[in-house]
Amino acid sequence: MGVPDETGADPLGTADPCGDPFLRTRFAIPTLPVTYLRRDRLLGHLDLAPRTPLTVVGGAAGAGKTLLVADWAATRRTPVAWLTAQMADKGRGTFWAYLLQALRLAGVTLSAEVGLPAEAGRVDDALLTRLAAELSAREAPVTAVIDEYDRVTDPEIADQLEFVLRHADTGVRLVLVTRTEPLLPLHRYRAAGAVTEIRNDELAFTPEEAGDLLALHGIRLPPDEIGALLARTRGWAAGLRLSALAAQGERDPRSYLKEFEADRTTIGDYLIAEVLRRQRAETQDLLLRISVLDRFCPALADALTGRADAELILTALHRENAFVEDLGHSWFRLHPLFREILRAHLRARHPGLETELHRRAAAWLRRHGPLVETLEHAAAAGDWAAAAGALVGDLALGELLTGPRAEPLAALFAAMGPEPRTPATDLVRAARALSLGDLDRGLPHLERATRELEDATNRPVQEPNGLTRAPHQEQSEPAETAAARLGCALLHVLAARLTGSPARAEAAAHRAEELKQEVPGRLLDRHPELTALLRAHLGAARLWAGRFTQARAALTAVTDHGRTTPAAAAQVRAPEPASPVKTRSPVAPERPSTAQVREECLAHLALLDHLDGHPGRAERKALAALAAADHTDPSVLPGIGPATLVLAAVATDRDELDRAEALVDAPLDAADVRPPARDPVAQALHALVTARLLLARGDTEGALEAADRTVVADEPSPWAEAHAALVAAGAHLADGRPELAVKLLTELPGEDPLCLVGAAQAELAAGRPGHALDLLDRIRPGHTPGPLIAVRSALVEAELAGVEGDREARRRLVAQALREARRDRLRRPFKEAGPWLRPLLATPALRPLAEGWLLPGAGSPDGTPAVPEPPPMIEELSGRERDVLVRLAEMMSTEEIAADLFVSVNTVKTHLKSAYRKLGVNRRHDAVHRARELGLL
Amino acid sequence: MRYEIRVDGELTETLAKAFPELDHVVVSGHTILFGRVLDETQLYGLLARCQSLGLRVLEMRQAPQ
Repeated sequence: MGVPDETGADPLGTADPCGDPFLRTRFAIPTLPVTYLRRDRLLGHLDLAPRTPLTVVGGAAGAGKTLLVADWAATRRTPVAWLTAQMADKGRGTFWAYLLQALRLAGVTLSAEVGLPAEAGRVDDALLTRLAAELSAREAPVTAVIDEYDRVTDPEIADQLEFVLRHADTGVRLVLVTRTEPLLPLHRYRAAGAVTEIRNDELAFTPEEAGDLLALHGIRLPPDEIGALLARTRGWAAGLRLSALAAQGERDPRSYLKEFEADRTTIGDYLIAEVLRRQRAETQDLLLRISVLDRFCPALADALTGRADAELILTALHRENAFVEDLGHSWFRLHPLFREILRAHLRARHPGLETELHRRAAAWLRRHGPLVETLEHAAAAGDWAAAAGALVGDLALGELLTGPRAEPLAALFAAMGPEPRTPATDLVRAARALSLGDLDRGLPHLERATRELEDATNRPVQEPNGLTRAPHQEQSEPAETAAARLGCALLHVLAARLTGSPARAEAAAHRAEELKQEVPGRLLDRHPELTALLRAHLGAARLWAGRFTQARAALTAVTDHGRTTPAAAAQVRAPEPASPVKTRSPVAPERPSTAQVREECLAHLALLDHLDGHPGRAERKALAALAAADHTDPSVLPGIGPATLVLAAVATDRDELDRAEALVDAPLDAADVRPPARDPVAQALHALVTARLLLARGDTEGALEAADRTVVADEPSPWAEAHAALVAAGAHLADGRPELAVKLLTELPGEDPLCLVGAAQAELAAGRPGHALDLLDRIRPGHTPGPLIAVRSALVEAELAGVEGDREARRRLVAQALREARRDRLRRPFKEAGPWLRPLLATPALRPLAEGWLLPGAGSPDGTPAVPEPPPMIEELSGRERDVLVRLAEMMSTEEIAADLFVSVNTVKTHLKSAYRKLGVNRRHDAVHRARELGLL
Repeated sequence: MRYEIRVDGELTETLAKAFPELDHVVVSGHTILFGRVLDETQLYGLLARCQSLGLRVLEMRQAPQ
């Protein structure tokens, strides 16, 4: 019984949410050993399963559950999907991805609509609803067997399964094989007669069955002796099987079994020791050694024994039905019960060998297996040099910085101490520190790794005499060395970005491009996050430096990639011998490893649009970035990343100050979590947005202070300085210090149009219209500014025209500014223009242009959709009303609020009513919503 | 919390090594595993380990301090 080899036809890919290929062995129906005893009474009971939606086969380890269901499944004419739920601890999304794949492999056609979970930890309700709907439409039910269901410990998965089961109606029959009672409302199923149950007692062997089983092993016993054996083993399948195996080799099996019956040692312990003792020394040695492995193929077992006999031994053991189960495709595993006991024997007989075995497993897997398993074994061996070497050599360093594996990888490497020191371990340490924005800890590691990698490159290949290299230092392969150096270059780009050194970022990125030529293409294909990270960090560094065009080029390369290029997304790994499924579908619809990077790039593109004065575009990109972030990883809160800050900046330009404030303040506690906190772009942006907001609120002192906040960076950023000066100038202007404002803005290098406009406005305030005119003339002709810049410059020109007495020009310019600003509702420039503007706006010529968005108006003028503003707050909330609202927002009931505030329920109701009135709402939910909108919570 | 877990049969020294965090004593065909248990998570972990070793748990109780 195998699994179809063809999975390429599946358009949805053959990879789980982490992008790892599905392990074929998880879908294999176990093969039956020759000594398997078919038990018709149990098969007969299982034949009732199609009549009930749910079947539970529950029993102790070694009770014979799995083989029974496998035997039954093989006789079914309707399709059977088989899943061994070993991945249940890898998250809900992973579990469902595997279950969907099991269904598809069983020939169940599910439309693309059902999709696949995009994240390891989460699955959409919509996916489950569609799955249930499509299953319910089936004519013949599909039987879904989940073996080792006891590994599902997440109650949410149980709820989700029950949901699908309930709504799929007769389309699916679920069979759970489990050691423990499943987390399902079994009592309800029992009451409704909707469950078929086979439990431990029923699984126990009857005297007749026991006799038949022993006969299969060539042992014939009279009924009373069978009875005694059953009493000793309590009908436990594994006990009977092992006693038969142990007795088989004896000259007098009957007296041997009598001895066993009289012994008082725990059964499994006794029998396994007995059966083990009977094996040849090589077999014993192999069994003990492979007990450290989840599953294995002969080559991997050979790697642990250092011999070449595993294939013969494993085949023989499987034939004898002793310990070893065949998973198909030359993969085996130990029966879980035997594995545990064998491990205890391994520890007792060879203390310390376990570590060495993990090390060998890691070394073998390094060459032939999936990276994740390599890392797990290397970590279990405490061999951090090997673990880091595998990660870095596989070019997977970027996965430590971003993507779905960043967290588990960080957790794995968290156990690594300050030793050992190899270039790879130093790179891992540097990556972990830098991903948290911790330059102080990260840079020394990075520098040491860089130095050693350079030394290694310059050193002749021949090692000095007498210096034996430890196995883990075998970085002889040039591909691995190149991968390490490329990873190192990536960290240099990141470090340069975090320290605000665009020149160093460019140099490191250039170096990375050169190194890419030395790294095998398959490694680069497998790690799209590396290229994405290189571009994202380079883009951020260029953004800091004010090189907007180049920044945009790097950032859009990331955001455009992965969306449109199925050819580049092709991920066909070379088939490797003796390893599970290695092929990936040629179409990878979602690239989980680059999703986060793309979000950040989108946010930075939003910032570029904002700095270019295009609030509408900036807002759209920022929202897209946040929506994507929400979708790909709910554990990372939107936080106060650049996207949120850009939204706050746009809200400020629109004079929606409450909203801006809520955006800047709300997720402050989450801000520290979001890496990289030390990013100078994010820091400068945060300072600017805060300062602009304070200025808009009239807090000039606060604004000056915020604008003056220094951002630690090696090189200054022209736009950050210009905008800080602009806010400071605005504050001085508001406080009647135009000379200071002029000084600040005219001292700036460069020709930032927004600064020139600001300086012109300050010159006007200082009474020097001539200077203002000069400044306005300096704005590059031919440069098409974004709406924000156009509006501001039109307003200053209008003011200038007013000073010169040209009222017609002034009216025309204000009208132009209004038309430019209306679409994006840019109210702030008009509020900051000065007192001359207000009476002008009320004139019949201009009023229609301002009504509906800038001035309270009759309606929307000439087709421009007026944004319906919620009614403004007339009265402030009282302290008590606010207290009640805060608790309301925490989902407390009226009674709970009353108890919490030590007042009566009626008092709470009174406060609520008056809060509702002031907020202009009628319902709790709306009250909370509105209060949040107004920044009252 | 101190707990005692009584399992059917006499545990060999080898198998007892599967419970390095507990002491054990063999009494008339039973084995009592005992020792400090940090929390419920560990307790259930110990029970699962008994199960995966094929041990039959006869009794489990919290021992006086």
